[in-house]
Amino acid sequence: MLAVRDLTVAFPPARGKGDATVALDRLTLEVSRGEFVAVLGPSGCGKSTLLRAWGGLLVERARVSGEIAVPRASDGTRATAWMPQRDGLLPWRRALSNAMVGAIAAGVPRERALPRARALLVEFGLGGFEDAWPHELSGGMRQRLALLRTCLTERPVLLLDEPFGALDPVTRRRMNAWLASVGLVSQDGERAVALVTHDVDEAITLADRIVVMSGRPGRIVHEVQAHGESRYDREALLASLDA
Amino acid sequence: MTPRTRAALVGGVTVAVLIAAWEAAVRMGDLPPFVLPAPSHVAATAVGSAPLLGPHVLTTATEAVLGLALGATVGWLLAVLTATIPTTGQVAQPVVLLSQTIPTVVLAPLMILWAGFGLTSKVVLVALTVFFPVLIASSAAIRDVDAEHADMVAGLGGTRRHQLWIVRLPASVPGALAGLRIAATYAVGAAVVSEYLAGASGIGVFIQRSRKAYAVDQIFVGIALIAILTAVLVLAIVALRRALTPWQPAHARL
Ligand SMILES: Nc1ncnc2c1ncn2[C@@H]1O[C@H](COP(=O)(O)OP(=O)(O)OP(=O)(O)O)[C@@H](O)[C@H]1O
Ligand SMILES: [Mg+2]
Repeated sequence: MLAVRDLTVAFPPARGKGDATVALDRLTLEVSRGEFVAVLGPSGCGKSTLLRAWGGLLVERARVSGEIAVPRASDGTRATAWMPQRDGLLPWRRALSNAMVGAIAAGVPRERALPRARALLVEFGLGGFEDAWPHELSGGMRQRLALLRTCLTERPVLLLDEPFGALDPVTRRRMNAWLASVGLVSQDGERAVALVTHDVDEAITLADRIVVMSGRPGRIVHEVQAHGESRYDREALLASLDA
Repeated sequence: MTPRTRAALVGGVTVAVLIAAWEAAVRMGDLPPFVLPAPSHVAATAVGSAPLLGPHVLTTATEAVLGLALGATVGWLLAVLTATIPTTGQVAQPVVLLSQTIPTVVLAPLMILWAGFGLTSKVVLVALTVFFPVLIASSAAIRDVDAEHADMVAGLGGTRRHQLWIVRLPASVPGALAGLRIAATYAVGAAVVSEYLAGASGIGVFIQRSRKAYAVDQIFVGIALIAILTAVLVLAIVALRRALTPWQPAHARL
């Protein structure tokens, strides 16, 4: 349902001379219905660029070739919801109101979104913080709130850019366990998640399938499906990242 | 003692010492009051002419407040418009810069010819000096926040109109208020200068009349009134900022 074929994205040098930065080089990748795919790769390999391509957020000056396939809603709008690498919370909105931005932007009626937002706040461990300003929340709480905002769009395809990237390893592990337990895709097959990260364990905990990218320009060097009790061979994944 | 009360105390003592030194200098130097009146003399004059001063102060305050409101609204709208439709910025920029190269005092006679001696010409003159800092500060505030948050809204399915309502408009408010806070320090001054040129009432008119009567003590009363009025305006804007931007920590709001 979500795909890129031979996608190449290059950024011309900011000021005249020099070579263009090729972020992605003929990348082909597909995410199917009901699937949770993690894209793993070193910093700067083009992970955020890939998600921006799907979200329709590439900057104007980027040179793009290849095909970008995104599922559309019946009214022709994108069926995707994007969560930025930095949380993007608005400092002038309280927690609940920040979450509601997802519903407003996606056109979800307020009467339906508001009760859901309140319920999800509790489920996301933010109960009692409805009226907190973003600067009063911890880094982990901010990222959970940003994820909650993304969920409130009710869009079936989530594009998550290092949802817990800004956290220390211990907190991140706890967040990942929690995110896995929330089950973003498992309940119904109409949903899909593409998550990018440079953390092997995040990918292992969460994904049905892991795609490993090379350093810039990003290409796919390795691809594994989760199977069995142990899910993934962690050593093999680490080795493919180093290659 | 908190740092704030300490700062207030130090400021108060400094002013008190300066006034005391002024008083002492006048008495010991035996200066005639038509050259430099003592602060006690100025205070006595102020009390004596208080009934006369009321309408003058009211006129100037009205001009300053209306001018601030008009200038701030125009400056803020122009900043939002420029951020939304870049072409309007390109059209407005030369006009805006040109308006800032001509001092208000020079424009004042024209304004008086066009809009008369009354309130309108003065409000326009104050607005002309006020809109520029508001425009600049609002534009900077919108630019600072824009890319990241606008992308967030678009990435969640928002349109350009959503970006305007959810991101650009609210982002411009703290900037507009910061610009207004700066503009407030010279709004009263601008009103008084325009009153020098024409008018029947106002602190500027009072000062001009006092000058013609060689009433130096009254001129000092006028100066003190300008300072007090400016201080009140600035404090009002600070309070407005506190009310409109409750998310900002107190230290960022002065
Ligand atoms: N707007 C842009 N203008 C110019 N170059 C860009 C832009 N966005 C990304 N790039 C370049 O494209 C490359 C890939 O960037 P991208 O943000 O996709 O990496 P990433 O894999 O998400 O890295 P990280 O893990 O550090 O977030 C980088 O070399 C970056 O400098
Ligand atoms: Mg990134």
